[in-house]
Amino acid sequence: MNTLLKLKKVNLKYQTDKDTIKVLNNIDLITKKKDTISIMGESGSGKTSLVMLIGGLEKATSGKIFFQNQDITALSEDEVSEIRRKHIGIVFQSFYLIPNYTAVENVALTLELNKFKNPQQQAKELLDRFGLKNRFNNLPSQLSGGEQQRVAIARAIAMKPDLILADEPTGNLDSKNSVMISNILFKYVKEEGSSLIIVTHDSKLANKAKRKIKIKDGKIV
Amino acid sequence: MEKLFKVSELNLILKYALIDLVRNYRKIFSIILTLFISLFILSAILTIENSLKKELNDNAKALLGGDLEIDYHSVEGNLELVNKVKEFTTISNMVEFSTMISTTREDNNQSLFTRIKTVDEKYPLYGTVVHEPEGAINQIHNEPYTILVNENIFKTLSLTINEEIKVQNQIFKVVGVIKSVPDVSGFIVFGDFALAGKETLDLLKLNTLGSFLHYEYKVKFNEGDNTNAIRKRIQDIFINDTKVRLRYPENSASGLRRVIDNFSQFLSLISISAMLIAGIGIANTLLSFINQSNMSIAVKKALGFFSLNIKTIYYCQLLILLTFISIAAYGLSFLLVPMADTYLSKGLGLNIKPLFSIFTFIKIFLVGLLVLVIFSIPTINAIDQVKASNLFRNVFQNLQFYYSKKSIFVSLLFLSVLILLFVIGSARPLYSLFYFGAFFLCLIVFFLLSKFIIFLLKSLKSTSNIPLKVSIKNITQTKSIMPITIMSLGLGVTLLLTLALVGTNFKREVAKSIPEIAPDYFFIGIQSTDRDTFEETILSMDNNVRLEIVPIISSGIVKINGVDPKSYIKRDNDSYWVIGSDRRSSWSDEVPEDNPITEGKWWDLDQPNKLQISLDAKVAKDFNIKIGDIFTLSIYGRKIEGEIVNFREVDYRDLSINFAMLFNPQFANTIPHEYLATAKFENPTKFKETVMLDNLPSLSIIKIADYLTKVTDILNKVFIAIILISTITIIIGLIVISSAIIVQGKVKEFQNLVFKILGFSKKEIVLSSIIEFILIFFSVILIAVLFAVIGSYYVIEHIFELIWQFDLKVLFNLGLSIGLVTLVLIMLTNLKYLNPKVYPLIRNQ
Repeated sequence: MNTLLKLKKVNLKYQTDKDTIKVLNNIDLITKKKDTISIMGESGSGKTSLVMLIGGLEKATSGKIFFQNQDITALSEDEVSEIRRKHIGIVFQSFYLIPNYTAVENVALTLELNKFKNPQQQAKELLDRFGLKNRFNNLPSQLSGGEQQRVAIARAIAMKPDLILADEPTGNLDSKNSVMISNILFKYVKEEGSSLIIVTHDSKLANKAKRKIKIKDGKIV
Repeated sequence: MEKLFKVSELNLILKYALIDLVRNYRKIFSIILTLFISLFILSAILTIENSLKKELNDNAKALLGGDLEIDYHSVEGNLELVNKVKEFTTISNMVEFSTMISTTREDNNQSLFTRIKTVDEKYPLYGTVVHEPEGAINQIHNEPYTILVNENIFKTLSLTINEEIKVQNQIFKVVGVIKSVPDVSGFIVFGDFALAGKETLDLLKLNTLGSFLHYEYKVKFNEGDNTNAIRKRIQDIFINDTKVRLRYPENSASGLRRVIDNFSQFLSLISISAMLIAGIGIANTLLSFINQSNMSIAVKKALGFFSLNIKTIYYCQLLILLTFISIAAYGLSFLLVPMADTYLSKGLGLNIKPLFSIFTFIKIFLVGLLVLVIFSIPTINAIDQVKASNLFRNVFQNLQFYYSKKSIFVSLLFLSVLILLFVIGSARPLYSLFYFGAFFLCLIVFFLLSKFIIFLLKSLKSTSNIPLKVSIKNITQTKSIMPITIMSLGLGVTLLLTLALVGTNFKREVAKSIPEIAPDYFFIGIQSTDRDTFEETILSMDNNVRLEIVPIISSGIVKINGVDPKSYIKRDNDSYWVIGSDRRSSWSDEVPEDNPITEGKWWDLDQPNKLQISLDAKVAKDFNIKIGDIFTLSIYGRKIEGEIVNFREVDYRDLSINFAMLFNPQFANTIPHEYLATAKFENPTKFKETVMLDNLPSLSIIKIADYLTKVTDILNKVFIAIILISTITIIIGLIVISSAIIVQGKVKEFQNLVFKILGFSKKEIVLSSIIEFILIFFSVILIAVLFAVIGSYYVIEHIFELIWQFDLKVLFNLGLSIGLVTLVLIMLTNLKYLNPKVYPLIRNQ
């Protein structure tokens, strides 16, 4: 009953002009609530594809993905969006803040989408927690890489998701910022009781997770 | 869709639509500009039209001259019935007639063919006669032989107040100048006119056909009387009088209303063309804007926004933009009303004021909305192609217009609504429909042309000329602006060239009649007894004059094959004028030189006592008349039956003497008649009007050149307005092209940077742009000329029924000018991409 996420014989294939590329091959995975999982593997092994499937951003070729006991592979795009909106926060390697929104607006967007009260105020409080008090009204282009990633994390966790998906969140940062970002992420999931699936090449970061998964040629090894 | 209409969701959508719009308005400036210009043109046309119609409606009684008009046309009418009406209303009698007025100086006397209205003290029943000096209008009632003339007569004849002029053989004193009269509709709008007292009619000899006498009785109801009841009572009084025509205020200025309707319809169609061309640019700019926002869209999707919500945000932005732009366009169009007023008050004595109409605003808004939606559907639907998973891969594909069966259906549906909006309620719906058909045909052809050129250039073998190679590559690349450039430029150029060809053909047709075919003068109202005097006087002035004198009588068609033609021939029939009122007819021994017989035989000389009629072939066709049909004519009150024996091809355009009906002379010679003459002098200065008028004071002389000058003058003004508006469509087309280049800007800048690194000179880059332009422009101009030729030929030959002629000079000059302007604009827009800064681009900033 404690299961948050369950992947059952999940396959992902891409069809090219010439042949079929198997990206993920019969993946089985169970994640419990408050779990922290790191996924490691070589480039092209299928790590990011796995996160995309879990986030409902890609459709699996076959297999089932259950999120909170609901089969998301059977849902429409909008229904999956609704789940993502309420329960899943995503952190990208390249931050992907909306360029013409300020830091507060980027964070408030997800709160407003989930109909939180006083979204601007809550966004400010969150950014303040991440040491960005003086950056509320700055546009992404006026922020450093570390600051941008902190805003991106604030945006991902603002609506208190049950699951955070982080795709190489420190990949574009220097070591000092990498440590800061990983501390923020792990501190948050510990305090709030969310689950975290983090894709990384950084073994130090991977070691912080309770479970470590390695993917090779589309299979969990 | 259910999700979309949740209020909280809508609030969120609206909020982010506003934020995005405020922060991105610079990126969509060309949308704002093109939408504003095209909506402003439409607003200006509709606002001026509404203001003008409001003025006509508000002053309908003044324009008619009363609550009702009893029109007896050329006869005095049944005074007994008129007096019955007088018992319960106020009646103002007036008679209009045409005659010559001339100066009475010692030398250099001048004369003018003028319409004079004799009025009583009650005139005008509504409105005022604006004149100078004050009180002069009372003088014409109190003093015989006094007259008020309009400003043009005053100026042309260089008159002074109290100067004496000759009206026929009587001397009148000019006591004032008329600035405007309220009942414009009663007068010839662009003719010269004068006002005189009611006794004037008795002082002059006005019994000729050339006087064009017109008897009218203007009626004013007593205050508090029920309008409908009084109208009914008057209708009952005249129920058995077939000669009378009762007119009401709602029918006043019907000619003017028709002109306004036609002109407004024509300009509206040009403005909608501008809007549709703008639509192509809007679609392109919007796609570029969405492409630039590709990442933001993907992020929103990753955060859980539905695709429909994101699309709605864009639609909301367009809606907000449209609301502000349509308010601005409509509001600013009011500034044009005073300008139009200056022109109209001078020409027609109408004073128009800006008139706000919520319906007009809704129409403008609706047109804008439909154009925006039609062109943004395939663009905004491209949002469906954006995938949030791209954020993991850091790869964003360029979005393309996206057409689904549903979106095509919705676009076509909205397009049909847009077309219907312009077709229904327009003065000539069929023409509007035809115009839209032609417009979309052109659009398709230009689109296919762009595809054909791309195909042709792709199949070209490689060339060693680098600039040519680059330009071919630019044209054939996937994101080429070629189709947009060709479509927007092609449509604009086609429209301008077509109108220019129509304009020059029209003006040439009017102008060429003067020296070649048309006589110099028309002489109307030559009495039988004066015929010899007239001929002698003319010949004494110029022995080599080409003089044509024909007899005329006035006759009306009462019945065709025993049936009243007005009972089955509708007013919109092209030839209705033939049965509308009495017409002038003539007779001739021989078939007129320029009136060949198309069917039947010339006169049967064995039946001299029987009336035989030769009819205009077009009239015969319009009325479905066959040889052998019987016309019952009313000639001097007598009903005479005549048989149609032949049809003639009559060309009224040559301005020589032409009649719809000719009679057999053996029969017609016995009817009392007068003469009509035309004269073409070896040298027109040999003709002395004043000498002729001294000999024959009741003669009316019309100088053809004067009238053609007036017509040409009016045409020039009309064509200036048309060309101005069609030029705006070209400007919109150019903005579209320029925005398309800017949309390409980043690619162009990067391309130029690579060229720079590879060692290209600026000259070679510029040269490649010029080659690219030449390849596009020459193909556009060739097709545009073809369409312009077909379009203008149809308009000139089939609508105006004139002779069309190809005018290479106009096409060449206009084509060259448009080409140069477009080239300069393209070069200017490209200029900023010629010197790309290496560092930011290499660092991908």
